[in-house]
Amino acid sequence: MPVLFKKNAGDRIFSLVTAVSSLSVLALIAGILWVLLAESSPAIEKFGFFRFITSTDWNPVTESFGAATNLFGTAVTTVLSLLIAVPVAIGIAIFITEVAPHYLKGPIGVAIELLAAIPSIIYGMWGLFTLVPIMSHYVEPALQNTIGKLPFIGILFKGTPMGIDLLTASVILSIMIIPFTASIARDAFNLTPAVMKESAYALGATKWEAIKNIVFSYSKLGVFGGIVLSLGRALGETMAIAFVLGNNHRITSSLLDAAATITVTLANEFTEADTDIYLSSLFYLALILFVLSFITLAIAKLFLLKAERRYSR
Amino acid sequence: MNRENVRKLNSRIALSLSTIAALSGLFWLIFILGDVLVKGISALGPALFTNDPVPPGMEGGGLKNAFVGQLMITFFATLIGVPVGILGGTFLAEYARGRKISKIISIFSDIMVSIPSIVIGTFIYAIIVKPAGHFSGWAGAMALAIIMIPVVLRTTENMLSLVPWTLREAAFALGAPYYKVIIQVVYRGAAAGILTGILLSIARVAGETAPLLFTSFNNSYFSTNMNEPIASLTVTIFQYAMGPYDDWHKQAWAASLMITIFILMLTILGRLAIRWRYGKR
Amino acid sequence: MKKKSFFAALSFAAVLTFSLTAFAGTMLNGAGASFPYPVYSAWGYTYNKATGLKLNYQSIGSGGGQRQIMNRTVDFGASDAPLNPDKLEKENLLQFPAVIGGVVPVVNIPGIKAGELKLDPETLTRIFLGEIISWDDEKVKALNPTLRLPSKKITVVHRSDGSGTTAIFTTYLSQVSIEWKEKVGAGKAVRWPVGIGGKGNEGVANYVKRVRYSIGYVEFAYAKQNKLTYTLLKNAAWNFVKPSFESFQDAAASGNFDPEKDFYLWLVNSPGKNSWPISGATFILLAKEKNASNVKVVKFFDWAFNNGNEIARKLTYVPLPDSLKDSIRNYWKAQGIY
Repeated sequence: MPVLFKKNAGDRIFSLVTAVSSLSVLALIAGILWVLLAESSPAIEKFGFFRFITSTDWNPVTESFGAATNLFGTAVTTVLSLLIAVPVAIGIAIFITEVAPHYLKGPIGVAIELLAAIPSIIYGMWGLFTLVPIMSHYVEPALQNTIGKLPFIGILFKGTPMGIDLLTASVILSIMIIPFTASIARDAFNLTPAVMKESAYALGATKWEAIKNIVFSYSKLGVFGGIVLSLGRALGETMAIAFVLGNNHRITSSLLDAAATITVTLANEFTEADTDIYLSSLFYLALILFVLSFITLAIAKLFLLKAERRYSR
Repeated sequence: MNRENVRKLNSRIALSLSTIAALSGLFWLIFILGDVLVKGISALGPALFTNDPVPPGMEGGGLKNAFVGQLMITFFATLIGVPVGILGGTFLAEYARGRKISKIISIFSDIMVSIPSIVIGTFIYAIIVKPAGHFSGWAGAMALAIIMIPVVLRTTENMLSLVPWTLREAAFALGAPYYKVIIQVVYRGAAAGILTGILLSIARVAGETAPLLFTSFNNSYFSTNMNEPIASLTVTIFQYAMGPYDDWHKQAWAASLMITIFILMLTILGRLAIRWRYGKR
Repeated sequence: MKKKSFFAALSFAAVLTFSLTAFAGTMLNGAGASFPYPVYSAWGYTYNKATGLKLNYQSIGSGGGQRQIMNRTVDFGASDAPLNPDKLEKENLLQFPAVIGGVVPVVNIPGIKAGELKLDPETLTRIFLGEIISWDDEKVKALNPTLRLPSKKITVVHRSDGSGTTAIFTTYLSQVSIEWKEKVGAGKAVRWPVGIGGKGNEGVANYVKRVRYSIGYVEFAYAKQNKLTYTLLKNAAWNFVKPSFESFQDAAASGNFDPEKDFYLWLVNSPGKNSWPISGATFILLAKEKNASNVKVVKFFDWAFNNGNEIARKLTYVPLPDSLKDSIRNYWKAQGIY
């Protein structure tokens, strides 16, 4: 092991340089946290924590700011996009690992990874120019005429189908996360030992039963970690939804209303905030987003590590 | 129907659904890429690369400034981020191999990889833009470098770990100090993998917009001065696509096409490099 | 690898110091209001052709213009909402108007052409308050008996960023409606009762273009360049007026810009017979202590005052009257930057 080498000047310097470089990651995380805390301290002092996250006020005229509308938008787009993306992503993973003929596995895998490489701004622009008209002319009126007529759920689809709203933003976000979730799920599925599946078949299980009972239970930690990781990604996504969310600082009951997320508010208002408390409140939002995604990502990592440990046993 | 048939039917339905899911994934890919391709190509022209923007309403503007700006920001981000990432990864895989600190840093790096990039933009605004008193290309490059570091660091760590320990022992036996072994033997063994990491990290940041909004800002002129606001393709796409002018929209599509091609090529190159070195996974 | 990264670091440091020293100050950086962006960018473009000097103006909204000049991150800020003399004093800023323009309501109603729809202060206010929700509302119909108004819900489009255009628009609404003044108020960004937010005049124009049955407000140049459907509006003299160079000029004529107050003035709801009621000047903000860059900025605007009238007119902005230009030059002289 590393301890074996002789200490000399060259090694001392080189190990120091590399150590500093690797510690830069920790320094950056601490630095970001510290700077965001410092910058948002005026807002923290003025609004406190509970008042800030529960206040729906976002009013630059009276200089009264609250995060609730932004948190609402972030929560709705994140949850909705996961609801759409996760089933599709798991379907894709099943297809690649269990269904596809061998010659298709590679190309489809590559296609999914390319989808993941497309930058978010392209999704956003495509969303505004291509998806918004489709949503406002076809999808949303259709939804209003079907599920929109149901009691209770119908409320979600009230309003003008203008395409610049929570629903469209969530659809774009889900298209963005699908490849990401799918490739993690695929990697988790792939780790299921072939022997276990084969023994299931030997007992007369159908392919689906083998997947459901063996592959799923074997890989659930990994898949779950992947989903939480995607959640972390969705929380922080900015450009894909900045075009189509409509920047509306209100909590609405309908998915066809415009909204605001933490990220979109930052993108639109950060360089424009004219008073100190306004800018500080934006830093406060950034701080909340940083902490939220950090916790989410840490939980995801925890699951993935646990899964890794289980497989390696 | 007997139970056997029901089970078979269930299986068939479930597997068909998964096939549909896969097809839908492909559908989006083709839809988006096709759309960018069709709308982008129709707006491509030499003027796009040779001219700078003109005021809205005038004809003949291009995005030369944004192409150059994007390349410069990405280049300097790579120059800052890659060495730090490689050296950091080296520490984890070599000097600190097996130690707790190594594990901790790699976990934090994994988290750092997915930290919202817009938060990094606000961070750089606070520590560089505000004290310096102006937006600058450097601020943008720093923001992107911060995003690159953990990506490069983790791939380097993984790739160095794949180099067999016996290789190092052979070099030790010849009396070489560890740092020489790392530089001359281990790096060489992991070169293709590290290169992949670099390519993928460039692909990752080349399409970033959010961290540039408050750092490198934008510039309607051609400028190679990293100490001033500098145009980038991505911020320009945001500005142009959100703007009302048809000419802007066309240029935004063309810019999107170029950036998508660039990133997909890097991604494919990266995959090829790793496949070429380590065979099919 | 290590050697390479070492060289990289070295060359990085070299390039850094080089660019810090060699290039500083070849370009003027300004940011702010999107209202005058079309005219500033056209001026900048022609100025660059004529003198080789570069003026980089980024349209980020008036709030942004004020913020960035207060933080001294730009050479000049631009805002359609003037700052009052006290605030200027506190932030150590100078202020002068550059050009005059008009904010116009724009709609997207298939079948209705520019200049056809008539609105009065009350209907306009109630639409933006969310009280009139459909285009075939009785109030709208009463003003437009000959138009076929669809029974469609109105989508309000407003600004999402801190905006001087919003300040002018909401100042106007506050002057004509007590209800607006009490419920919403005036400012660069307000708590909108309804609607979706677009970024900049550009964003509002874009959303109005893409969302059917919408209404928004933009600087007239945006409406004109993008062929948006602007409306007529009833002014303080109870005439329906069309947004035009003449009606903006008429509004400007009523204004008395006072250099003692750093030209602080709102031009909304002017009493003139043909005045466009939502007019406004757009202002330039300078950091008092940045003499060197101020001289350059002033040189640019002096050039624009002398040579830019035609460009401004073409885009339907009203150049400042000559007497006002002279009083601005005196204001510069008093500061020692002209």
